[in-house]
Amino acid sequence: MMARDVYVIGVGMVPFGQPDANAADLGFEAAVNALEDAGIGFEAVGYLYNGYISAGLLTGVTLAKDLGLTGIPISHVENASATGSCAFHEAVQVVAGGSVDVAMALGFDDLNRAAPAIGGDKPGIGQVILPAAFFAMWATRRMYDVGTTVETYAAIAAKNWNHARLNPYAQRRADHEVTVEEILASRMISYPHTSKMACAAGSGAAAAIVATREVAERLAGSRPLIRVVASQQQSEQYVDGHIFMGAVVGPGELTQTTAKAAYEEAGVGPADLDLAHVHDAFPIEELMYYELLGVCEAGEGDKLVAEGATSLGGRIPFSTDGGLIGRGHPGGPTGLAQIWDVTRQLRAEAGPLQVERARTGLAHMMGAGAVCVIHILQSTA
Amino acid sequence: MRRPFEDGYFTMPDGHEQPRLIGSYSQTADKYFFPRRRRCPLTAGAVEDVLLSPTGELYAWTFVESAWMGKTRFSSTGDGHGVGQIELPEGVRVQSILRGGMGDWEIGMPMQLEVYPLVTEADGTELCSFRFGPAGQETPQ
Repeated sequence: MMARDVYVIGVGMVPFGQPDANAADLGFEAAVNALEDAGIGFEAVGYLYNGYISAGLLTGVTLAKDLGLTGIPISHVENASATGSCAFHEAVQVVAGGSVDVAMALGFDDLNRAAPAIGGDKPGIGQVILPAAFFAMWATRRMYDVGTTVETYAAIAAKNWNHARLNPYAQRRADHEVTVEEILASRMISYPHTSKMACAAGSGAAAAIVATREVAERLAGSRPLIRVVASQQQSEQYVDGHIFMGAVVGPGELTQTTAKAAYEEAGVGPADLDLAHVHDAFPIEELMYYELLGVCEAGEGDKLVAEGATSLGGRIPFSTDGGLIGRGHPGGPTGLAQIWDVTRQLRAEAGPLQVERARTGLAHMMGAGAVCVIHILQSTA
Repeated sequence: MRRPFEDGYFTMPDGHEQPRLIGSYSQTADKYFFPRRRRCPLTAGAVEDVLLSPTGELYAWTFVESAWMGKTRFSSTGDGHGVGQIELPEGVRVQSILRGGMGDWEIGMPMQLEVYPLVTEADGTELCSFRFGPAGQETPQ
């Protein structure tokens, strides 16, 4: 439970997937965009949390020299794909705890330049098992347990590609309606996942600024206040059949326990959500998270896909900006891009991505399968 | 000459003995783990090294054709490799490279541990890792 209520007062992004872009340059641009969105200068920020995986030592501190030499504490946060979400979580906590009134979380990265070894600095037997394999095994096991088809996985990917078509910041912006057939025809990555089912790795940057209610009210103008009603981070707990070795490993139950804590903190349930973002690095993940977040019963996720319930215009749209598959997954910025979209949705500023009457949105990220971060944002409108 | 790519994960006995994975047993939790733990992740109690069963059941599998998220081929020839999760009788689930190709594996089938060369050094020494293959099939050397 947060000691003080915390609000999102500004968000900023840059287009993802810019080839040859310098991640720190993108980070500076995203930070400035967030400051302008909030209507404040950097001197108002009391703490900066930088989230990046692939940049060099102290890149965040170096980048901040151009934002302003204000003397504030600056920290680097890294938790694989959950890096940006963890930076946001830290920013929320430092405001909630009363240390500062305004904090910024800034993510910048290029996942194609990320260090290859997770969990160590030299190649080891554990690194032989690649991230793509881990989630593909979720997919084959589900096909065995539930009878999920490759067409269902392709339908989720096509949905997210088509959401991304509406997002000017997305890495993948197809010039046509992407079909299930097209997804299935792309080359195989790790059975049953094809390349168009895999997340788009590339460059990007995103930022979010949080503040106390007093600051948020002063800056809001005609906009609704966007309150962070839950900010939860967990790491894995032991389950039967627990896997310890591999670049990306962790039990699906981690999402379930983190979501339970987030719902309790927010005082809402899955039925109250108007939209959700998840770690859809592969479509099996999005499918599993429908169920692990409690949006539907176990084994019922395929039906949601068939009904179009998780598409824009559906009952509970997921990955409304294209998700990791369509908008892209640079690494550090990814979780902050989710906050960017949820905030704009709740302000009714999402343009063609807009979910009608969106009041409550959830953002979920996993870090190497072993870290889960969930935020729930709510509009006070 | 053959030796493990990394020590502490499996035995490489001479002669005809089966290789075995080296795991940990926690008496306080009555649980087995792989790979070895520094202490019991449930009770924080002491653990002891144990040799795990060399056979198990296939829980899940995939065939990887690309190293990363769709950007890089696994090898210039386009060859891929199987990856599986194998449940051992001790309740341990092991993630492992699989011997074979698409169509060779079915969830629930019995699997057998084996050792294979991962890298060959300049002096001809083979650095080995472990993998599982369908039980009862001949293991290529």
